[in-house]
Amino acid sequence: MFGYIIRRAVSGILVLLATSVAVFALFFYGPSNPALAYCPETRCTPERLANITESLGLDRPVLEQYGGYMKGIVAGNDFEAGAISIPCDAPCLGVSFKLRVDVADYLLARFPATLSLAVGGVAIAVTLGTALGIFASRVRGTLADKLIVGSSLVINAVPYYLVALLAFLYLISEWGIFPQSGYVSPFTAGPISWAAGLLLPWLVIGITSSTQYARFSRGSMIESMNEDYVRTARAKGLSDRMVTLKHALRSAVVPVVTIMGLEFAALLAGTIFTERIFDIQGIGKTALDAIGTKDLPIIAATVLIAAAFVVTANIVVDIIYSLLDPRVRLS
Amino acid sequence: MGIQPTELVVSNTDEPEVKSQDVAGRSPTQIALDRLRHDKIAMVCLAVVAVFVLIAIFAPLLTDLFGVELEGGDPVTDTKADSFPAIGPPDYGFTWEAPLGLEPRTGNDLLAEWFYGARTSLGVATFATVAATLMGIVIGLVAGFARGWLDRVIAFVIDIFLSLPFILVALALAPIIVSRFGAQPERLEFVQLCALLFVLSVFGWMTLARLIRGEVLSLREREFVQAARVIGVPTRSILFKELLPNLVAPIVVSISLGLPAFVTAEAGLAFLGIGVVGIPSWGQTVNRAVEFFSTYPLFLYAPVVGICLLVIALNLLGDAVRDAFDPKTRR
Amino acid sequence: MRLKKPAVALATAALMTLAACGGGSGTGTDPGSENTGTIEGGNAGSGKNPDAQAPAEVPEDATEGGTFTVLTVNVPSTLDPTQAYYTDSTAILSDLVTRSLTQYAYVDGEMVLIPDMATDLGRPNEDNTEWTFTLREGLKYEDGTDVKAEDVAYAIKRSFAIEELPDGPTYQTTFFLDGDKYKGPFQDGTDYAGVEVNGNDITIKMRRPFTDMDYYASFPAFTAIPEAKDNPATYGRHPLATGPYKFADYKPGTSLTLVKNEFWDPETDPGRIQMVDGWEFKFGQDSAKLENVIINDTGEAQTTLTYDNVTASGYRSIQEDPDRLVTGTSPCTFMWFLDMTKITDINVRKAIGYAYPYRAAWKAAGEIEGVTRVPGTSILPPGTAGRVEYDPLGIKGVNTDPEKSKELLQEAGAMGYEIKFLFASDDALSVQAKDQLVNGLEAGGFKATPIASTLETIRTDRTDYDSPINVRSSGWCSDWPSGGSWFPAQWSGDLVGLEGMPNPSNFKVAEMDALQDKILDTMTPEEAAAAWGEFDKKMQTEYYPAVVTGYSGTAMIHGSKVGGMENDNVRGMPTFQRMYITE
Repeated sequence: MFGYIIRRAVSGILVLLATSVAVFALFFYGPSNPALAYCPETRCTPERLANITESLGLDRPVLEQYGGYMKGIVAGNDFEAGAISIPCDAPCLGVSFKLRVDVADYLLARFPATLSLAVGGVAIAVTLGTALGIFASRVRGTLADKLIVGSSLVINAVPYYLVALLAFLYLISEWGIFPQSGYVSPFTAGPISWAAGLLLPWLVIGITSSTQYARFSRGSMIESMNEDYVRTARAKGLSDRMVTLKHALRSAVVPVVTIMGLEFAALLAGTIFTERIFDIQGIGKTALDAIGTKDLPIIAATVLIAAAFVVTANIVVDIIYSLLDPRVRLS
Repeated sequence: MGIQPTELVVSNTDEPEVKSQDVAGRSPTQIALDRLRHDKIAMVCLAVVAVFVLIAIFAPLLTDLFGVELEGGDPVTDTKADSFPAIGPPDYGFTWEAPLGLEPRTGNDLLAEWFYGARTSLGVATFATVAATLMGIVIGLVAGFARGWLDRVIAFVIDIFLSLPFILVALALAPIIVSRFGAQPERLEFVQLCALLFVLSVFGWMTLARLIRGEVLSLREREFVQAARVIGVPTRSILFKELLPNLVAPIVVSISLGLPAFVTAEAGLAFLGIGVVGIPSWGQTVNRAVEFFSTYPLFLYAPVVGICLLVIALNLLGDAVRDAFDPKTRR
Repeated sequence: MRLKKPAVALATAALMTLAACGGGSGTGTDPGSENTGTIEGGNAGSGKNPDAQAPAEVPEDATEGGTFTVLTVNVPSTLDPTQAYYTDSTAILSDLVTRSLTQYAYVDGEMVLIPDMATDLGRPNEDNTEWTFTLREGLKYEDGTDVKAEDVAYAIKRSFAIEELPDGPTYQTTFFLDGDKYKGPFQDGTDYAGVEVNGNDITIKMRRPFTDMDYYASFPAFTAIPEAKDNPATYGRHPLATGPYKFADYKPGTSLTLVKNEFWDPETDPGRIQMVDGWEFKFGQDSAKLENVIINDTGEAQTTLTYDNVTASGYRSIQEDPDRLVTGTSPCTFMWFLDMTKITDINVRKAIGYAYPYRAAWKAAGEIEGVTRVPGTSILPPGTAGRVEYDPLGIKGVNTDPEKSKELLQEAGAMGYEIKFLFASDDALSVQAKDQLVNGLEAGGFKATPIASTLETIRTDRTDYDSPINVRSSGWCSDWPSGGSWFPAQWSGDLVGLEGMPNPSNFKVAEMDALQDKILDTMTPEEAAAAWGEFDKKMQTEYYPAVVTGYSGTAMIHGSKVGGMENDNVRGMPTFQRMYITE
C-alpha cells in the first residue's frame, strides 16, 4: 500500500513536471511578449525594451529560464523588470503582467470562491445522485424508476453551460428567485449570505452532475442486492432497510468514488463556465480574464494548479477506492 | 465540460449481464444494428440528427429558399437608431423577410446565421471526431502491442493530456497557433479553423486510446494472434488486419459518443470567445445574444434550441448505440 | 488623458483606443497656452474659480450613511497616484481618496477648476516659469499625521520616476526644470532643484513657460506622499488617504472597499462631501449582469451604479426610468488618421471621408449615435476654448456619400484605391465594425484590405511606421481644455519619425508648422485659443489629414437612490466627489 502511494506520487510529480514544461512553453511561444508588458506604453524605446528583456532574463537560454521559473516555485524569486522590483515569495508562480501582483497571492485570494462552489456542488451531486440511485434500485422497474433513469439520460445530454446560462438568466435575472450576489465571504458577510449567493450555482452543478451518480449507484445497488452476502443477510432475518444500509450501500459507494475521480476534470472545466455565467470571481473566471488580457503568468499558474488538482484527485480516488472495496488490490 | 465521455470507461459497472438469445449466423455488429432498429428513442433521435445533417449540407440552398442572406445586414437601414432591428422581432411581429429576426447592431439575418451555424457545428464535430478517433485507434493499438518503454511513454502522455485542463489550454493555445501561422490576413479564417480543429482533436483521443490498449492487451494473447505471429505476419498487418476488426464495437461507441461531446465543446469554446471569426457559430451567437436577453430573447433562443436539440439527439443516440453494442448493458 | 478602458473593455477599445495624451518621448513642444483667468463658462472644465470656499455645499436631499456599490467591466491597472492616468483610476483617487493641489468641482453642468489642498489655483510668475502653491492648514493623512509641504514636493519628485512607476502623465519631464535629466528619487535621490519648499509654500520651477500648471496640478500625481511610507512597488495597494475616504481593502483586479477617513476635515475642502459611509468597487464584472442588476433596481441595487457606457439593450431598458441615466460628453475625438506620406492626393483623402460608413461602423461597434458617440467634424471637441465649428465635406460627419466618393476618385484617377487598416481579430465588435468599413469603402469605390491584429498588439502595430497600413484608427483626449494640448502634440511636423508615432497621419506641412510656431511663440493665451480653432479648420479644409469619426459620449446608469451623480465632462466619469444617497 505504502509503496503504491509512493509510486503513484512519483508518477504524478512526473506528470506535473511535464505539464510545467508545456506551460513554460507558453512564455516562449505565447501571444504576448513579457518585456513589452513592462515597457511603459507611451515611452517604450527599443533601448528600454532591451533593458527590460535583459533584467527579466528573457535573453538567456531556455533551460536556464525554465530553471529560474521552477526555482521561483520552490524558493521564491524577487521579480526585476527594468527599474521595477516586485517581491514574490515561494511558492512564486510569477508576477501578473497587467496587475503587477504576486500571482500566487492573487489566486489564493480567489480560491475560496472556487472551493465553495466545487465542494457545495459535489456535495449536492453525490447526495442527490446516490439517494435517487438507491431509491430507483429499490423500486426497480416501476414508473418512478423509469422516470429517474430517463430524466438522468436527458439531463446528462444537455450541454452544462446552457443549463447554467438559462438558470442564471431566468431564475436570477428575470424572476429574481435567487439573489444576484454571487460569492461573498462567509467570514465577513456571514454564512447565510454566502450560502444564499451560491445556492443556484450549487443546484445547477449538483443536479447536472448527479445523473452520473444516480445511474451508477443504481446499477451497483442492483448488482450487490443479488450478491450472496446480501442474500445471507436477508436470510438471517435482517430488515430490508438494514440490508440496504449496512451491506449493499457499501458497494454502491464504490462507483461514486470512481465517478468523483473521473468527473473531477469535468468539474474544473464546469467551474470555468459556472464562474463566467454567474460572475463569481474564482480561479476559473480569473483564468478566463487572464486569457482575455493575455496575462501569461496567471494563465500558466492556473493551468498548473488545475493539473495538480486533477493529478492529486486521481491518486486520492485510487487510494480511497482500495480502502472501500477489498476486492481491489493495489499493485 | 470535457470531451472525454466518462460513460465509456465505467460502462461495465452497470447492470448485470442479461442473457440474450444469440441467433446463429449473425455478426455482433448486425445484432447491434438490429437492436438499434427496434429502439424507438434511438430512431427518433436519428431522424432529428438527420434533419440537422441535411440543414448543414444544404445551408446555402435553404438560405436562398427563405430569401435570406448570410451577413448581408446594413446597420443603417436594417437597424433603428438604438441598434435594434427595423423589421421583425422584438419590436414588430413575425415577418417572412426575417423569420428568426435580425441581429441588433449589424442587421444580419439570424436564420441564415442559424443554418450556417448548424453547418459549422456538425462539420467541426465530424472532423474532430474522425481525427480524434484515428489518433485514438493508432495510439491505442501501438501502446497495446508494444511492450515496455513505448507503452509506458504512451501511458504517461495520456496521463499528461488527461490532467491538463482542456478548456484553459484550448483557450490559451488557439491564439498562439493563430499568431504563429496567421500572418497573412487572407488566411486568418482558415488558420483559426485549423487551430480549433487541432485543439479539439488533440484533446479527444485519450479515452479511446486507453480502451483500445486494454482490448489489445487481452486480444494479443488469443490464439489467432499468436498463430499469425508464428507464421510471420508483420506486426503492422497483425495490428490492422487481425486486431482492428475485433475493435469495431468500442470504436463505433466512441464515435457516437464523441460527436455530441465535440458539438458541445465547439459551442462552449465559441461561447467563451474562442473560435472562428467570420464563420457563424451557435456558440458565438449565444455569446453575443446574452446581453439582449431581456430586450430581445429570440436572438438567444434560436441558437440555444439548436445546440440543445442536436446535442440531446446525438447523446441519446450515442447511448443507444453503446447499449446496442455492449451486451452487458440493458436499459 | 486616457479612456477608462485599459484592458478588458472589449467594446470599442480595439478599433478606437485612444492614444495617451502626452505623446511621444520628449517632443519639446509647448502644449500650454490657456488663460489663467476666472470662470469662462460653457467649456468642459475650462472654467476656473480660485475663490471656491470650503466646506463644499451639501445638497438638501442628501442623507447621511449607506454604502455605494460601483460595478464595472473595467479593471484599473494601478491605483498608485503617480501612475494613475486612465480616467477611472484618476476619478477614484482624486474624487475620493487622494487630494491634489487643485481639483475639479461640478457647478451647473460644468466642471470648474477649484483649489484643493492649495489655498488657490497657484501663482505663476510673469513668464509662467515658476508656479507657487500654498498648502492649507489642518490637512491630515488617514493616520492623523499632518500633511506637510515636503510631502507634496516628494510626490512631485516621485512623478519623475517613470521607469519605476510607468504609464503616468509625463508633462513634468517636458516642462519642469531638469525634467529631461532628473530620474526620480529612487535613482537620483531627493535632491531636485525644480521644487522648493518654504513653510507652506511649494514652488515649482519650469524649464520653459507652462501656462497650464493649475490644470496639471489636479492630477493625482500632485498629491502628498510621505517619503518614509513610500515603497514604489506597493504604495498603490494602499495610497495614504487625504480625502474623505480611505482604502479599507483592495484586491487588485477584483475589488476596492473605501471607508470614511475620520481625519478629513470638510473645512479644508471646497469640493468634496462625505455623506455615505463607504464605497464598494467591484472590477471585472460582466456587463450584461451589472446592467441587469442596476436596471432591476431592487434592494442593494438602488444604491448601485456603474461608470461603464450603457449597451444598446440596457439603453432601451432604462428608457422606462430615464432619470437613472446620466449622459454627457467627455473631451475625446475619434479619428481615422490618413497617412499623408502614402495617401498623397487630397481628393483621395476626402473621398475616404465621404465613403466612411459612419453610422454603420458605430452601430456595428456597439455605439449608440448621439449617446455614446456624438457626430462631429472639428478635431477639437466641444468645450475646448476657441473651438470653431466647420464642415469640410458638408456631410455633418454622418451622411456617408459613396457617389461623391467615387466622383472624387474618378477625378483623381484612383478608382479602386486600396485602403489598408487594422482590426482586432479577437474582439467580436471590432470584427463586426471591420465588416462595415469594408462594405462602406467598397461602395465608395475603394478596395478595402483589413489587416488582422489583436486587442493586445493593435496599439504597437498601429504605431509602427513599417506597418502595411495607410490609415490609423485612434483618437485624442484633452488633458485640459485648450487647443494647445491638441495640435502641437499630434500635428507637428517635428513629431514625424519619432518613436511611438505621435503624429499618426505623418502630417508635415511647412506652412502649418510655421503657423503653429507663430501661435506658440507670439500669441497671448486668448489670441492663441482662437487661433487654434482657426488652425483646426484650415488644416482639415485644406489638407484633410484625418476623418473625424465623432466625439465620445458618456451614458451611465445608476440605482434609484443614487444622488448627485452627474457626468464629469473632464473625464467622462461620475462626479464621485459630490455623490450621496437620497431618501
